[in-house]
Amino acid sequence: MKKVAYYKGCLASLSAKELDTATQALAPKVGLELIELESVTCCGAGDIHEAEPDYYLHINARILAYAAAEGVDTLMTVCNVCTLNLRQANWQLQIDAELRARVNENLVAVGVPPYERNVEVRHFLWEIAEGEGYELLQKAAHKGLKGLKVAPFYGCQILRPSKILGFEDPDRPWSLERIITACGGEPVDYPAKIKCCGFPIIQAREDVALAELIQPIEQAYEAGADCMVTPCPLCHLSLDAWQSKLKKQTGRDFKMPILHLAQLVGVAAGLADSELKFKRHVVSVKPVIEKLSV
Amino acid sequence: MQVALKIWRYDSSTGQRALKDYEFQAPDEATLLDCLDIVKDKHDGSLSYRKSCRMMICGSCGMRMDGGAVLACKTRMYDIAQAGQIPVISAMGNLPIVKDLVVDMAAFWEKMRSVEPWLQPGYDAATEQENIVSVARMAVIHKESLCINCGCCTSECNSLEADPDFTGPAALAKAMRFVGDPRDGNTVERLEGLSGEHGIWDCTRCYFCSERCPKGVDPRDAIAKLGAEAMKHGIDRDMGAKHAKWFVTSARTTGWLRETELVPKTQGIVMAIKETKFALSLAKHGKVPPPFPPHVAKNQKEARQLYKLVKEQGVSGAAGIVQGEKALGRIEFVKETEHAAKHEGAAK
Repeated sequence: MKKVAYYKGCLASLSAKELDTATQALAPKVGLELIELESVTCCGAGDIHEAEPDYYLHINARILAYAAAEGVDTLMTVCNVCTLNLRQANWQLQIDAELRARVNENLVAVGVPPYERNVEVRHFLWEIAEGEGYELLQKAAHKGLKGLKVAPFYGCQILRPSKILGFEDPDRPWSLERIITACGGEPVDYPAKIKCCGFPIIQAREDVALAELIQPIEQAYEAGADCMVTPCPLCHLSLDAWQSKLKKQTGRDFKMPILHLAQLVGVAAGLADSELKFKRHVVSVKPVIEKLSV
Repeated sequence: MQVALKIWRYDSSTGQRALKDYEFQAPDEATLLDCLDIVKDKHDGSLSYRKSCRMMICGSCGMRMDGGAVLACKTRMYDIAQAGQIPVISAMGNLPIVKDLVVDMAAFWEKMRSVEPWLQPGYDAATEQENIVSVARMAVIHKESLCINCGCCTSECNSLEADPDFTGPAALAKAMRFVGDPRDGNTVERLEGLSGEHGIWDCTRCYFCSERCPKGVDPRDAIAKLGAEAMKHGIDRDMGAKHAKWFVTSARTTGWLRETELVPKTQGIVMAIKETKFALSLAKHGKVPPPFPPHVAKNQKEARQLYKLVKEQGVSGAAGIVQGEKALGRIEFVKETEHAAKHEGAAK
């Protein structure tokens, strides 16, 4: 078992609880012991980085410090946006000793352990796409996906900027396809799989966001996908919950089920309904379940 | 080396489009631009593309290789040819194609002009003394000053694709170059202008611009700096700015994002009420967590106190974003030289 500090982030704590339960249930099957961080806040989602950049750095340093205090080497995330925000802050702190000293002084002043020993921020996707996690995933996915056609949707902030993320080629990613195949599914290819879901501006600029959102859903639909899978709960929220707005705007009802990565692998690994919590989705996942139960 | 390319040929006068194959010998050190020159000289004189300096400074030869914008003169072909790959070369995205690999840059330049990319110092006559600007202050716009106007950042911009009127990453990075310039006297007016529709808050944070820029300008980072500067100057009427502010409030009050309140805090109560039906459809599936009792993170007091401390220390706006950047290597250098200069002056 590899011990990792587990940072849920806001969505998996609140509106996407199904992501948390599926991840927690799946973790031991893929060799991960999750130590859940409690004394942590939101990473700022890029918004605090923009509104109060120095505060952004401090709250992320606090998350990194609490992860390091657990004595682990890895801080595991389940969200693209958390991954980028934490990795960016980690990079800033590691590159500039003077900055790190000031931030640490501030952390200590409010009773937080200083961030001294480095941890690496890694997304759950990366843990199961290679190495021991991948070996175990192949065994764990014993129920298989029976050739289910799955459209991988990466989203942006797990690929770009690659100087901060850097796990795979941002233009030719392979990790989700590899996992889909290992689970017995058939990856569906389409150009918009690395593009934006529109979520960051879905409230402030809904029309622009919907014009982005329709691309991956439409392309996956036309490529014959049974469902889409994403490693990001924000992409999930816009693909799943805002699909009804696409219907309203364009008249097209794609009825495309959207699965969190942990749910897709979870289905192949035979997780219970109470762990997958598909009822929490806006677009019904029933057609997928029916296809698999035949 | 043997090089193979596929090139999308296009003629806007006839509307004809075709993917053509080319195979030829090129020197091992050849760039994509050198290869296009070989094609044009020896195989097909009608191939059209822009070029000038051949050394990554004029910004003429932006084009797509396998769907991603590159500067042709910066792209070495050796590894690609050795791997037996046959890249597809096409014109940049988000701009109309004139012919083959040449795009019409008119909209690009129009947006560039719209941000008034020149220094507006706020005085007409020369002052008696020089206005000395420290390297430390210029380091805030170091990356933005590297732009060569090639357009690679706009080629895959997802917001621009969805909204052609979006000011776009190149013009916004240029805007930051002047907003962050301590000699400029128009900072607030510039930020007001950039905070409206199609401005700062239209960026969808897809990071394609920063990924594609061949000069390390990092336009997405520049847009974040504009946002931070706007907030610093209290320019926060836009929904995007309100959205960003609510994250700060959430982090310092409960720790986690107060999701349900985010909509009225961003869009205002009237618009939020119009969205009631949509909200109810999400609430059925637990997507609208009740705001009461608030979900408060453990040891939340620490995050609250940190906020107070940080505000007291006053590292705000773009200066907060460039912390830990490589450009700061220059700041340290300046600190040392400034210190040494002072020391010398005192000794005299």
